[in-house]
Amino acid sequence: MSDDVLALLRAQLGVEEVPAAGVEVPADRLLALAGELKRLGFDFFVYCAAAHYPAAGEAPDRVLVEYRVRRLPVEDLALRVWVPTGSSTPSLTSVWAGADWQEREQYDLVGVVFSGHPDLRRIMLPEDWEGHPLRRDYAIDTRHHPWR
Amino acid sequence: MALTHPSAAPAPVAPVRASVRPWPDPYLDVEQYDPEGDLLVLNLGPQHPSTHGVFRVKLWLDGEVCIKAVPYAGYLHRGVEKLCEKLSYVMIPPVVDKNDYLSAFTNELAINMAFEALNQVEPPRRAQYLRTLGAEMQRVASHLLWLGTFGLDMGGAIGGGATLFMHCLREREGILDCFEVWTGGRFHYNTLTVGGNRHDVPAGFAELVTRTFKAIRARLEEYDALILDNAIFRARTAGVGRLDAQLALEHGITGPNLRGSGVDLDLRRDRPYGVYGELKVNVAVRSEGDALARYHVRMAEMRESIRLVLDLVDGIPPGPLCALKPVKLPSAYKGKAGQAYVSIETARGELGTWVVADGSDKPYRCKIRAPSYHAVSLIPYLAPGNNVSDIVVTLGSLDPVLGEVDR
Repeated sequence: MSDDVLALLRAQLGVEEVPAAGVEVPADRLLALAGELKRLGFDFFVYCAAAHYPAAGEAPDRVLVEYRVRRLPVEDLALRVWVPTGSSTPSLTSVWAGADWQEREQYDLVGVVFSGHPDLRRIMLPEDWEGHPLRRDYAIDTRHHPWR
Repeated sequence: MALTHPSAAPAPVAPVRASVRPWPDPYLDVEQYDPEGDLLVLNLGPQHPSTHGVFRVKLWLDGEVCIKAVPYAGYLHRGVEKLCEKLSYVMIPPVVDKNDYLSAFTNELAINMAFEALNQVEPPRRAQYLRTLGAEMQRVASHLLWLGTFGLDMGGAIGGGATLFMHCLREREGILDCFEVWTGGRFHYNTLTVGGNRHDVPAGFAELVTRTFKAIRARLEEYDALILDNAIFRARTAGVGRLDAQLALEHGITGPNLRGSGVDLDLRRDRPYGVYGELKVNVAVRSEGDALARYHVRMAEMRESIRLVLDLVDGIPPGPLCALKPVKLPSAYKGKAGQAYVSIETARGELGTWVVADGSDKPYRCKIRAPSYHAVSLIPYLAPGNNVSDIVVTLGSLDPVLGEVDR
């Protein structure tokens, strides 16, 4: 990881080094950090992905949202945000225009709410679909409307 | 060129958002823009052949000129990512084969490389070498089909009708024959697995591949000359579907679409995998950003891939094909806990897999980063200001595969 990125992460988040899996960002710091990263040349939006973790022991029911951005020539940085169910995370569409469809897909399939998204609609499934199939509690072998 | 065509004239000015972004506003409020309701609403697709699959774009037209475009994806959604959570590691590759159904080999390669990175398995050199060879063969096959269908979108670029399409399918057939003698499958091979390959190349494979690709190389020059000499083709592609480099980067556009806009990024060279580190890959870049530039990039890529295939096929090294012992039951293979993101350069761009594992025999979460999904998300930006026939050309020049968009 380059020095300018490390300096930014130290100033914004107080982290000393970036783990291989990516740097964890509190949801309220995400938008500001994304803007600064873009100013450092991270123009390339690689993907946004989310994984659902049901409540287990102390941990609440939550979703891990991962953004990956890139600076050319190839230097990747993954930003990880933990979003408790019932809460939301800021949309990065205002920073990287391409985050639009990526976040819509994760909203549709995993059920993460991105606040400030300009067009948060389902994209893969019909508008009247119930539930979010990639959540762990949405099983393959149970019936869901509108399969019948 | 003396020929004038509406698309050669400067495009009508599309509505631009008040912010600093220099491209059309994809979130335009039609009610506000057109309170009288004079605009014509047209659905392009989902069964229209020029949508290259099942894909719908809702267009608001002022005469012939598009004001706003809203794409609707999901007609081919198969729930692949959910299936990945329910199937064991060795059962997933045949399912993801059908994502980008024009280049199954690279689909398998991408997902297996992610599983291998997760489990720290290194395939033997012979397997790596054959994977690189197969990926380049697949790139030529995929680009050939793109060239044929692009000719169809153009209303018959050489000779009219489906001439170019038929010629390109004939060449691609030869490549599918090569894959058939190698893996037994023509489209969907299921030949790669975690840690290596299942099928070895048969005797005489090098001669067959050399013969096939030399024939394609000679004919490709003929097609290129015929297409570029065609004034209609040039008029319909030059300046059409112009893609701004900054817009492309923000949308995560990769592959020929990005390189046609002047950004020099190719993971085969910039982050080598397989045996690409030992090869010299010449990357074609054009700066114009229009449909013609993407055509030039893909043609140059096909020539480069043919060169790589002919170089590679003569030096297949001996050795084992798989680093792991075969398991009798799919569930006998247990993965390690952790997460990984691995991406490769396919015919359409960066195909990546983000996999999270919890140490069981199945992935916990598997996200497939499909390059076509990113390409299709450009339609609301590229369509406004163009007429309908140019939107068909723009969509064709982006080369999306809808199986991969919807997954």
